[in-house]
Amino acid sequence: MNKKLQQALMDRLVAMADDEVILGHRDSEWTGHAPILEEDIAIANLAQDEIGHAIIWYELAEPFTGNDADSMAYFRDARQFRNVQMVELPNHDWAFTMLRHYLYDAYELALLTRLVESKFEALAKAAEKVRNEEVYHFRHTSDWVERLGLGTEESNTRMQRALDHLWPYALQLFRPMPLDDTLIEADYFPELGELRSAWEQVVIPHLEKSDLKVPDAEPIYAHRHHHTEHLVDLLADMQMVARSLPDAVW
Amino acid sequence: MSRDTQWPRYEVFKQDRPDKPHAAVGTVHAPDPEVALLNARDVFVRRPSCYSLWVAPESAVFKMTAYELETQPNWWVEELPEEAPEETYHIFNKQTQRRSMVAVTHVGEVTARSPREALRKAIESGQFVEKVAYMWWVVPESAIARSSEEDVLSMFEPAKDKTYRDQSYYTGGVFARRSQRRPEDIPLS
Repeated sequence: MNKKLQQALMDRLVAMADDEVILGHRDSEWTGHAPILEEDIAIANLAQDEIGHAIIWYELAEPFTGNDADSMAYFRDARQFRNVQMVELPNHDWAFTMLRHYLYDAYELALLTRLVESKFEALAKAAEKVRNEEVYHFRHTSDWVERLGLGTEESNTRMQRALDHLWPYALQLFRPMPLDDTLIEADYFPELGELRSAWEQVVIPHLEKSDLKVPDAEPIYAHRHHHTEHLVDLLADMQMVARSLPDAVW
Repeated sequence: MSRDTQWPRYEVFKQDRPDKPHAAVGTVHAPDPEVALLNARDVFVRRPSCYSLWVAPESAVFKMTAYELETQPNWWVEELPEEAPEETYHIFNKQTQRRSMVAVTHVGEVTARSPREALRKAIESGQFVEKVAYMWWVVPESAIARSSEEDVLSMFEPAKDKTYRDQSYYTGGVFARRSQRRPEDIPLS
């Protein structure tokens, strides 16, 4: 593998891992606060699953980054993270949390379905494993979107408000990274335009069926190294224990 | 007016392997059968192993203990309309006190016009008990929602890859030992 391809692969794997670890952390913030006990357990499961996926991607990137998963998650600063802004936004209400997760799960499922075919074998193998679990996440969050969208006037209003806010952020998932062309050429990673239309074909009909209107809004098209102020607060919380006791054994 | 704002309860029946019967493992709250299935998975199947899940509204489950059967000799008496349609009822019972995590286990089906009739037929047939039954449950087929065979891969398989550690694993205290961090020691579950 040449240097440029290595760099491109590392950038993408770290971006994937960062999306998952930040979303997983936001999920974990609901522990003890979710609207019903069963859902509290479910979202704690989701948090662990997403953080588990992050570990898989960080470890695949380890030969290129030279850092293990813990160092990547706990010992980098906000400017070094490559997650999209959508996953770092504060949780707000349950409608916002479920809708964000749904938009992300649909993207991840579409991505994994394509990564199973990746010519980078280790990635294809990992994608196949993660994909099984993601099918379940997607079912869980689609169910919630439908039930809240079609639920009461209040639940529909909250979902619509969440969708109006989140839709432009969700589109950042489809902004190519600078070296993506190298990856696509090597058949390591799918083309994002095709991924976006596959994603839209799934989420738009489901949102409409759930009585929600997809907004006609300009995408938030920031580079992945640009973050909102919320990531700094999130990392302060997430990294505090690891940084105060860097050599602790759990 | 009821002040209870909880969702209805569903009984959860878990089958560990295709050759094992479904067993009642507990209840979940859910607004509908689909959510009940997912909640059942999240609450009861985080650990291997599971092959199939059934859920049924608690209100649709007819339950009788051995004590109730003995002290209410007319328990089976009821007025059924002449043309009451027949349906398949699933029969569960508890024949051992040893499995503390399981209430009752699936032992078979009977066709009947009501849960009471189903239970009477099941008891009279003699084919569902070896020595003693401490408790009986009867669930109409129409009340059961099931996971499918295609769900196994997404709902139950991933749990097998998770590291599970009982709390006794952490007896040494989190900060007692200090040495090189080992990423493979990060508990996933």
